[in-house]
Amino acid sequence: MSEVYKKLENIVKEKFISNSIYVRHAYSRNVDPVLQGVPDIVIRPKDAQEIAEILKIANIENIPVTPRGGGDCEFGGSKPIGDGGIVLDMKRMNEVINLDQENLIVTVEAGISWGKLNEYLCHYGLYTGCMGPGSGMTAAIGGGISHHSVGGGGCAKYGACTNQLVSLEVVLPTGDIIETGSQANKYSKFPFNRFGNGPDLAGLFCGDNGIFGVKTKVSLQIFPRPPFAAYKTFQLPRKEREVSAKIMTDIRQKGIDVYDVMYIMDLIVRIGCEQGMFPFWENLKKKRGIIFYTIEANSEKELEEKIKQLDEIMLNNKTEKLDPEISDGNMAKWHYTEQGHWQFYHNLWGMSPCMEPLTAECFSSINSYPPILNDIDQWDMEHNEDMQKILNITKSRPIAGSGPILLIDGNNVEITCGFTSFGSYFDGEIHEILKELDLKLWKSLLERVTKSGVQWYMMGDFMSRLMVDIGAYTPEYYNFMKSIKKVLDPKSILSRGKFNFWGD
Amino acid sequence: MSELKHLKNEWKAIFSCMGCGDCGYAIRPAVDRYLTCPVLEAKGEGGFEIYFARGRMNVLKSILEGQIPLSRELAEFVYECMECGNCTEVCHMSQNEYIVLNTSKWIDHVKVWEALRKDLIEAGFAPLDRHGKLIDYMNDEGMRNPYGEEEAKKFEWTTEFPEIKDKGDLVFFGGCTMPLRQVDALKSMMKILKAAGKVIAMSKNEWCCGSVALRIGDEKALTDIIRHNIEVFKNMGAKTVFTACAGCYRTWKKDYPELLGEELPFEIKHITEILVEMLNNDEIPFKSVEGSEMITWHDPCHLGRHMDLYEIPREVLSKIPGIELVEMKRNRKNAWCCGAGGGVKSQFPELALDISKERIQEAIDTGANILTTSCPFCIGNFRDAYKEMETEVREKIQVIDIIDLIANKI
Repeated sequence: MSEVYKKLENIVKEKFISNSIYVRHAYSRNVDPVLQGVPDIVIRPKDAQEIAEILKIANIENIPVTPRGGGDCEFGGSKPIGDGGIVLDMKRMNEVINLDQENLIVTVEAGISWGKLNEYLCHYGLYTGCMGPGSGMTAAIGGGISHHSVGGGGCAKYGACTNQLVSLEVVLPTGDIIETGSQANKYSKFPFNRFGNGPDLAGLFCGDNGIFGVKTKVSLQIFPRPPFAAYKTFQLPRKEREVSAKIMTDIRQKGIDVYDVMYIMDLIVRIGCEQGMFPFWENLKKKRGIIFYTIEANSEKELEEKIKQLDEIMLNNKTEKLDPEISDGNMAKWHYTEQGHWQFYHNLWGMSPCMEPLTAECFSSINSYPPILNDIDQWDMEHNEDMQKILNITKSRPIAGSGPILLIDGNNVEITCGFTSFGSYFDGEIHEILKELDLKLWKSLLERVTKSGVQWYMMGDFMSRLMVDIGAYTPEYYNFMKSIKKVLDPKSILSRGKFNFWGD
Repeated sequence: MSELKHLKNEWKAIFSCMGCGDCGYAIRPAVDRYLTCPVLEAKGEGGFEIYFARGRMNVLKSILEGQIPLSRELAEFVYECMECGNCTEVCHMSQNEYIVLNTSKWIDHVKVWEALRKDLIEAGFAPLDRHGKLIDYMNDEGMRNPYGEEEAKKFEWTTEFPEIKDKGDLVFFGGCTMPLRQVDALKSMMKILKAAGKVIAMSKNEWCCGSVALRIGDEKALTDIIRHNIEVFKNMGAKTVFTACAGCYRTWKKDYPELLGEELPFEIKHITEILVEMLNNDEIPFKSVEGSEMITWHDPCHLGRHMDLYEIPREVLSKIPGIELVEMKRNRKNAWCCGAGGGVKSQFPELALDISKERIQEAIDTGANILTTSCPFCIGNFRDAYKEMETEVREKIQVIDIIDLIANKI
């Protein structure tokens, strides 16, 4: 056992640290088939003080440290880039610390999942509004804040989860512990506001992909769950991409505070029905795209008025309403009443055995997404030769496209774009060519989408480095980010390799 | 490096795992999903991901890719699993019949864990010490049970019941746990059958069903057992073979036909299926009762998730006078395992007890004063945990086999 290991063990005690090869491999992957990084050590710290001590040793010994919450990144964000280093498994820190019912603020340890927090809050008639990412049953609050997560419900009404952030406790890469927002004032008795006391330094850690600090405590604004809700699903007419975008724009221009609006492309509907994934849509005569809305209200009257306005928009755009029950194809009802918002993406991940997503998640303006989706189709055709090579080995041709388009705050949407492929192990053999093709195609597609001007929010290993490699950042912005990293983390201990600051 | 014969057969399941982690952490209150892996929860703050399905799938990917080998160290990790199947349930769970997760077509975690255990055994890294003894006892010609008891002891209880025939349509398979550890429940069963006028047959030549070896991964040991047991019951003229043990039921009904590659020559039923028939025919003469007791039902994994037998035990309970069923927070497909299965009770008894205590507490939280089920492993583990719990807890609830529950009301 190395001296370093002993020092770390002294901080957290034997039970919470491991260098077993099996434990290390258990933490070597995220939700993608090709990126792997095997840590040397995995630690489950109990609090900010322990993390501070670990980071101090990591600085002395020059060991990279990667924080890991739910481990749900689709682009390698919560495993080391390359082998080695320490993974901090934040899931030991998963308790609710305080519920301030009067001020509607909850303070939690950063490793708690969106599912666990909302289960706790529902006993008080409360919820987090934005329910985190689509993987929120497992994904941690800390990870959500690190990536501006959306997708787990409520994002059209409440926006990305970082909108609700009030205060953060962060361990800086050198081991200092800070609290942001109202808690920067040492006389403040409880967190109540994010902004003030100088610049919004909490914002520095929002969407930082874990490079500027380890989030250990999060205070979020929470909301009373409205007692009334409606959920309706519609089939789109032809030119569905443009029509769905127009519907979302119409909703925003009318100022209706929808809870969620989701557009599901004809490709997903068609293939999903072929694969038996959507029995409730099998009887649709035309397998066109679907759009649904969910909306909340504090009174029946208010709800009726909102429904009237929304249905008018849907009607004017020539959609066809599906009947109200889930069995009738009303996905919106499943999404809202059964918390399907935390399950939907699972359907798309496992369409064929071993078929896995090589995607990335970005924001764009509503009116930008139809041309982006059209361009992904074009990209698919242009790369048919490589797709065929994958088909020849796996007997399945990759599918390029986007997952559901989700309305988020402002006039923006979330796009999960990419293609489905296979890892290098296939039917008893390792095909290195599959991995090579995956990486080449993944890079090519994301470069293409980046050049359409989107904004990546969950970047992980792959996308954070790609943005740099293809020169997509303005030099001034990238240098500014690099300067901050240099000040906060002079040895680049934390999440080393992300954004490729020093060729690491 | 081992040949990994069994794991290679499961490659589709292993590489179809996306690593979402819901097999460890899922909480989705709208559909009564409150966590998934009892082992991970029992490990508490020391719960590294190797203790639940996602971490294990990641390790298996690395093994199949040739990055790391099988070993005894790996065996020590992977046998800390009851193979309860809750991870599979959440992996397949849209919780709505109109939305199907395709992973349900190719991911069966229990099959993957069993394949891994078979490869570990074939590579010489398993069985672990206590598991090895169970298999030795089971294969011992003088024992034929995993408890290390003389074979004749399994049948001592039958001397009180001369009405048990040597041949007949309806044959009882006693298994090992009940006749050697919970004989009172068998006597209760006979009381019910007698009251209902049912005649059963039984053989003193039955061997352990082999469930223990299968769950541990020693498939070889099963070949003789299956052929022997089937031959014995065929010669008795059995049309229906029933058992009061959930583990035996799963092994007979699911594993035997799979391993043989053919249907059995008779029907297999669990005792609750026999009881429900008798209740539907008004064949059980209950005493008249006043008032009612609150009862909660624990779904044994080998009846529920493994065999989809959820409603019949509830139908049985609904027909017993003087009881009111109140469900635990996690029931049916979401039910929390008792902690005893997959060889955990024998090899890791403390882990089994920790998990069991959580389930007993969940039963207490319902307000019920009786926790009932129909699996001798669950009953045994609950009773062991129960003994260790505080007196005030014990005063709140009793653990009773459903057979005893009915017999007490005749």
